[in-house]
Amino acid sequence: MVLKDVVSPNKGKAFMLCNEAIARGAIEADVKVVAFYPGAPTSEILDTFSEALGSFDYQMQIATNEKVALEICAGASFAGLRSLTAMKSVGMNVASDTLFVLGYTGARGGMVVVMADDPHAHSSQSEQDGRFFAPNSYIPMLEPSTAQEAKDMIKEAFSISERHRVPVIVRTVTRVNHQSGVVELEEIRRSGFSRVRWRDLKEEYLTLGEVARRKKLRMIERRGSLEREFEESAFNYILGGDAEVGTGIVTASTAYLHVLEALKVLGISGKVPVLKLGTTYPVPRRLVAGFLKGLRGVVVVEELSPYLETEVTMIAKDENPGLRIFGKRSGHFSEAWELNPDLVAKGLASALAIPYEDKSGIIEEAKALKEGMPERYPTFCPGCPHRGTFAALSQALRALSASGKGYYFANDIGCYSMWVFPPFSKADSSLCMGASVGIANGLSNVIEERVVAVVGDSTFYHAALPAILNAIHNRNKFTLLVLDNSVTAMTGQQPNLSTEFTAGWREGKRIPIEDVCRAAGAEFVEVIDAYQVKENVPVIRRALEHDGLAIVVSRRECALYGDRRKRKRGERITPYYVDKSVCRKPYACIRDVHCPAHEIDGDGQPRISPELCDGCSVCSRMCAFGSIRRSGTEGERR
Amino acid sequence: MSFDIFICGVGGQGLVLLTNALGRACLKSGLKAITGEMYGLSQRSGTVSVHMRIGEDAHSPLIPIGGADVLVALEAIEALRYIEYLKKGGLVLMNSRIMHPPVETAGLVKDRSRKYFTLEEAVSRVKRWTSMVAVIDALAAAKEGGNPNAENTVFLGCLSALRGLPLDPAKVKEAISEVVPRGTVEQNLKAFEIGMRRASEALCGYGVCRDLK
Ligand SMILES: Cc1ncc(C[n+]2csc(CCOP(=O)(O)OP(=O)(O)O)c2C)c(N)n1
Repeated sequence: MVLKDVVSPNKGKAFMLCNEAIARGAIEADVKVVAFYPGAPTSEILDTFSEALGSFDYQMQIATNEKVALEICAGASFAGLRSLTAMKSVGMNVASDTLFVLGYTGARGGMVVVMADDPHAHSSQSEQDGRFFAPNSYIPMLEPSTAQEAKDMIKEAFSISERHRVPVIVRTVTRVNHQSGVVELEEIRRSGFSRVRWRDLKEEYLTLGEVARRKKLRMIERRGSLEREFEESAFNYILGGDAEVGTGIVTASTAYLHVLEALKVLGISGKVPVLKLGTTYPVPRRLVAGFLKGLRGVVVVEELSPYLETEVTMIAKDENPGLRIFGKRSGHFSEAWELNPDLVAKGLASALAIPYEDKSGIIEEAKALKEGMPERYPTFCPGCPHRGTFAALSQALRALSASGKGYYFANDIGCYSMWVFPPFSKADSSLCMGASVGIANGLSNVIEERVVAVVGDSTFYHAALPAILNAIHNRNKFTLLVLDNSVTAMTGQQPNLSTEFTAGWREGKRIPIEDVCRAAGAEFVEVIDAYQVKENVPVIRRALEHDGLAIVVSRRECALYGDRRKRKRGERITPYYVDKSVCRKPYACIRDVHCPAHEIDGDGQPRISPELCDGCSVCSRMCAFGSIRRSGTEGERR
Repeated sequence: MSFDIFICGVGGQGLVLLTNALGRACLKSGLKAITGEMYGLSQRSGTVSVHMRIGEDAHSPLIPIGGADVLVALEAIEALRYIEYLKKGGLVLMNSRIMHPPVETAGLVKDRSRKYFTLEEAVSRVKRWTSMVAVIDALAAAKEGGNPNAENTVFLGCLSALRGLPLDPAKVKEAISEVVPRGTVEQNLKAFEIGMRRASEALCGYGVCRDLK
């Protein structure tokens, strides 16, 4: 990230990531309170605010989970301050209990919730379509296509929120969040931060019984006034086209960009009328009806569920009953996976009955060239402490194999998910954050095998804690490994409750996981150093054999986070090397470690790449012959 | 018309910075640029890719299949992984460096008759897609420039050697100075110059390079 673009007080232009543009937009809109729990593809919004914190006086919290983050923003909004949070849409599952009530209570200070879907499940456990949160909670939703539009929408969302006294969802998808482009910067003019008096502002933020019923009517009214406003919104527009064609296109979000590209590829740019929707809840029905009038057919291009298609279908029923509708239901597009220009061109060509040669030939040809090419699965980084923890666990399991006891491995969501890949290959289940422990509570009482659950530190606080307390209270018996690498590594090493820092590298109170477990009454709680493979084997073994809940906290900071800290302190990384005169090629370093820094040299001996080695020592501890040594020379890496 | 560059490599090789420098150079040149970036998760060593599109009518953040003018691969096997994005007969700038995935290495230990996927194999297969292939030893070039981490800037140099790139190399250099860590500007600019030279040499027969003074 180039911080100076985000914090520059002046008008101008910058090339930036959409997530940075979102942060810039909120800063221009004088946001006062931001709170986040990280999750791809929104994490860089958190990161940007954290980096920019030194330049402005907004308040920022990195929260325990999305629900807390949303509530922090709601609190600020109730007091009249502008607030913003961002989360991936599975995070909204966690936060939605609060979101639904906010539909009732409404907001006071502008409140914006960026919610990102991840079509194609690039970095998520599901391809969930978060758009349905909007109609379900009566909360308005805007959908940008580009970085510039995202920034514009964020600013407008604050105004909409204040005009209609309701939070506003700005819904993105991975290909919007992770899109860079040229963005117009406006001057930053911020008012200073000061506390407000609650007693002067007091409103009724509650929703019981009769109150809830009354507020429901207000929500329905509010939807009407939002819809009337959206009929005129500049975020919805029609790109002209040839009325002769008889078929138009309705689209939104990143699909709109693919449509423009596809029309170009098909040689019909400007020939087909396109309605681009930016306000997708409530849908401006009059505008859509006007567009559909006189058309013989309409193609609805959107990712995931037929959300807009359903709206269009309902509007067409009254306005243009003979209209042919092409979309998911007609089979022109799939509900699965993300769109791209080629898929959109294919669907459009078929709907418009124009010739198009799809790319399957090229793809087949490329596939043939790739025959036998090695896959590059995600893997633990060089120096990752999880590798050491799982190596010790594997050894402990091997030592116990004679007992004939079986195991169920409950994996969870974090870098340690890669436990599922070789050489460990363990995961009987992996659902969503914290579910490993919940599942263990259920399974441990009904199967014969011992359940081994894992969670990371961030996941421990985020959602696993209630399940752990449940296990202690109900005396459930299983083994829990908490992999405490000090940060939320998978999303970019953000600080969490296990870090002594918080947003903007400011001091945060670290909450030791073992203290929480012991205070709650857990009887078996051991803390190990992830790199000490040999010493950890007997501890983990005891935890596997313990007749009760056994918690092992494996601690060592994330290697990428550690490297950054070392760089800050000016420390160098000293790589390891294989002393070939000692190595007898048992290959334990390769077979049981799977580190990207290891390869086999021309002479058949293992070699450690000094550019990649992080100097963690785990492989040297796995070598029975002591042939892996720390370089005496200075490392080649910064 | 748009000028489309597909960039790929392995997590940790600095694609973010490379992309940002190109984008800034576009901004300085008054050109529209849009990207689609896929960094996988945060871990090192996974496959990473960026669709970089320059020009007024580059609409989608994704390059259509078979649409890229140039394929830049910071790791040799990755060139093959994304080959379908390159136009037939397009230009490839690829690193000679191979970073063997751990599963591949482990496979060799399991079955001693197996061999690594080689650079020669990767290059020869890429050449079945296009003849214009420049294989660059970017790590050596970066080290020669004084910083082994500057493989990404070596490739910015390689790209800048191309006449087709609608950017003045001076603007790319300016952008590099703005985005690399303080204290490494000189090393990176050196890496850039070396990259530019290497690509010109490798591609001199094709008439696609700028004249280097
Ligand atoms: C509800 C929800 N929020 C956010 C995410 C994004 N996410 C994926 S893994 C992860 C946490 C990883 O942290 P930790 O448990 O500490 O494990 P580590 O990656 O550090 O090993 C997060 C926040 C998610 N998948 N689901």
